[in-house]
Amino acid sequence: MSILEVKNLSTSFFTDEGEVKAVDDVSFAVEKGETLGIVGESGCGKSVACLSVLRLIPSPPGKILSGEILYSGKDLLKFNSKEMQKVRGNEISMVFQDPMTSLNPVFTIGEQIGESIALHQKLSKKEVRARTIEMLDLVGIASSEKRIADYPHQLSGGMRQRVMIAMALSCNPAVLIADEPTTALDVTVQAQILELLKELQKKVGLAIILITHDLGVVAEVADNVVVMYAGRVVEEAPVKEIFTNPQHPYTRGLLNSIPKFTPGVSPRGEKKRLEAIPGIVPNLSDLPPGCRFHDRCSFLVEKCRNSEPALRACKGDTKHKFRCLRDL
Amino acid sequence: MRRYFLRKILHSLSIIFGVALIIFTLFHVIGGDPVYEILGKYANAERAQDLRNEYGLNKPLWTQFILYLKQIVTFDYGRSYATRQSISEILSNGIGPSLSLTLPAFVITTVLAVSISLFSAFFRGKLTDRLILLLSVLGMSVPVLAYILFGQYFLAYKLGLFPISGYAHSLGERISYLVLPVLIWIVINLGYDVRYFRVFISKELNQDYVRTARAKGLSEVSVFTKHILRNSLVPILTNVVIQIPFLILGSLLIENFFSIPGLGSVIVDAINSRDFPVIKAMTTLVSMLFIIGHLITDLLYAVVDPRIKIQ
Amino acid sequence: MKDIVYDYRTINYLVRDKWAVLSGVVIIAYVILGLISNFKFADYALTATVSNSYLPPSFDSIELIFGTDLFGRSVLLKTLCGAYTAIKVGLIAVFISIPIGVVLGLVAGYFGGLVDDVVVWFYSTIASIPNIILLIAFTYVLGRGISSVYIALGLTTWIGLARLVRAEVMREKETEYVLGARALGARSSRIIFRHVLPNLRHLVTVTFSVQFIHAVKAEVILSFLGLGAYGTPSWGVMINDSKQELVRGIWWQLAAASGAMFLLVLAFNVFSDSFEHVWDPKVK
Repeated sequence: MSILEVKNLSTSFFTDEGEVKAVDDVSFAVEKGETLGIVGESGCGKSVACLSVLRLIPSPPGKILSGEILYSGKDLLKFNSKEMQKVRGNEISMVFQDPMTSLNPVFTIGEQIGESIALHQKLSKKEVRARTIEMLDLVGIASSEKRIADYPHQLSGGMRQRVMIAMALSCNPAVLIADEPTTALDVTVQAQILELLKELQKKVGLAIILITHDLGVVAEVADNVVVMYAGRVVEEAPVKEIFTNPQHPYTRGLLNSIPKFTPGVSPRGEKKRLEAIPGIVPNLSDLPPGCRFHDRCSFLVEKCRNSEPALRACKGDTKHKFRCLRDL
Repeated sequence: MRRYFLRKILHSLSIIFGVALIIFTLFHVIGGDPVYEILGKYANAERAQDLRNEYGLNKPLWTQFILYLKQIVTFDYGRSYATRQSISEILSNGIGPSLSLTLPAFVITTVLAVSISLFSAFFRGKLTDRLILLLSVLGMSVPVLAYILFGQYFLAYKLGLFPISGYAHSLGERISYLVLPVLIWIVINLGYDVRYFRVFISKELNQDYVRTARAKGLSEVSVFTKHILRNSLVPILTNVVIQIPFLILGSLLIENFFSIPGLGSVIVDAINSRDFPVIKAMTTLVSMLFIIGHLITDLLYAVVDPRIKIQ
Repeated sequence: MKDIVYDYRTINYLVRDKWAVLSGVVIIAYVILGLISNFKFADYALTATVSNSYLPPSFDSIELIFGTDLFGRSVLLKTLCGAYTAIKVGLIAVFISIPIGVVLGLVAGYFGGLVDDVVVWFYSTIASIPNIILLIAFTYVLGRGISSVYIALGLTTWIGLARLVRAEVMREKETEYVLGARALGARSSRIIFRHVLPNLRHLVTVTFSVQFIHAVKAEVILSFLGLGAYGTPSWGVMINDSKQELVRGIWWQLAAASGAMFLLVLAFNVFSDSFEHVWDPKVK
């Protein structure tokens, strides 16, 4: 049994312009000790899906409409608020994209990490402090005893993100959801953070869900990948499969658009241009009929305009599923 | 940190100078000759000259300004025209009653306002929140005088719940005289405060750190009372502390109606009797207090908001 | 710039917001009634005795709907003319203070340096003197009468707007420099203003409401203290008169003046709230 399994999740936002179907019948799962990468461009619903797991969707405009979120077999959507509070930060933790704004500027990092610990574990003040220092050491922050009294704005971006991770892992959760944890950081720091996550995963057997739009990151750390587009899962497969045998046109488009160091040469002998997927993401409150990707797809056939395909397994590999009528 | 302090202090001094200049210009230059205001248009010329000498009005403007600056520093503003009492005495007598009114009223109003806004924000969008907003806006729109007059009329006169007016020096009796005025002050100011504080708190509601706090498993109540409140305190405190220097002024209208012998009454009486030195002294005093109060806020800021310490 | 005073979307939103419309209607009603009253009844209101003194409200005739005062004058007419005074005060005060605020804010923000220091010092000093005291001082010094009130209000309330405008300009200036001001050269001023101007419209409108209300309230208080309206009908004077009346059970003058003021102030508050909401939907 997967440690966390999301089944047929649908989350919408009800705005003045109508219902925005941010997440539409999405399913994915992550195993202990493994990393699931969720890939897609901005607005595809990856963040909303994960916020739904922790039920952090702001409730006036947003609403989780249907589905099941099974954590160790128990459906989180049926939990009451007290039970959810026990899950958050304790069993399932989340790390967000921008550590500067995600940390409270008026409390020290020690206080913020300590708050997590004190919330879920019955420890004395001394023990909380000791554990906080332990966590800071774990994420690789030097002079942790001094740093504990620092405020977020006194730290660099990379360090802040480490603090966020320390905070998230302080109560030994089984699952860590990381929403674009490295997007706001520079490349070298990015590598360090990813390294850190991999190490921690090995040490503790942590299941990680990593949300990103960067395929490079996915290649580095993920074991399995889910590709999302316009609120739907369009492809899911083990990481190697995604890169060697992408089935969905969107996935292919993503892979093609990665700039290469040695550009190919076109038939006329000029250097090839960067490839982009033409068109733009559809308006989620006004979706076109048929496949959501059809207006940007280079493998379009008539049927694509009318009916939306279901997820189907790849020939010979049930772990690899994709949502397209065509076989490429 | 020290440089920050120094900068703020120097700045305040320059403002003090500027204020003195403006007040002086207002009263001595634009104001014209106050002497005839006091004695009446057909006063004896000799009397007028005596009065001028006494108040130093015959000296060149330049000298008068220096004298004025001296007054500010020594807190000795001379004598009142109307009562011949030493102004410093008038001021020191008036502070007590004013503060007895404003200090408790201010504290209660602030605490209530913060609590109500936080409460309102917690229930944002729901009926409670809207009701509170409605009441605040209505409350803000009623003219101050109406509150005072109706309050006095219904609660004191008609229903006899409180004495209509008056003041006592003994602490015990004083309280019974102050209850209604304090109540009216609170009603007048609560609407404004709640409106403003609610906005400050709203701005924090959508911040990322709030999402993080929830993601850690904090209950909504804790999220509000610990994280949101603390962050909202910075703009709230600015708003609150600015009001403190004005507390000394008491309330011009409330004191007048309830016969409370505070500084507010002093000013109203001075206006009615055209008592120029008293008006000038009060204007100066309160402005200086305001500047100093503002300085203290800025310095306190560094304590409340750690981001400033490092600057 | 092809937008007229306000863009289509703002007006569209406002029209759909029933509170904005309601308050707008109320305000316009006041203006119209005030204008009519002033041009028809101004002298009449304060001199003509309509009936016996202290008649309670009755439906005998329109003029007696709010009763009469000590001199037998119609409270209704006094209230309507008072509306004119209040609106006049509000408008003139605002028309004096808004231009001053905008110009000084622009100048301080754009030129920076010494000019900025001077302007900031200037408004900081004025802001350090408690507003009510400053108004009292001004009107005291300028003498009785409604014109002192306009001037006093106009000269003291420009500060808030100046601060806001200055902040806007300075913010835009920062962005421009980051983008390499030297390359933009002389055009930077136009670019800065092009960004600032739209925000300016909103700032001015919100400030307009706030200051209008402030002016109306201040006039009432000043008139009450004897420093304001003199010889012109004013709600403040009416309230002052009603001080002694209340004990004798005569409540209608106070009720009329306070009620009229309450409605106007409320309308402005609601309107400016709706307006702010259009501009910054996060403010809920």
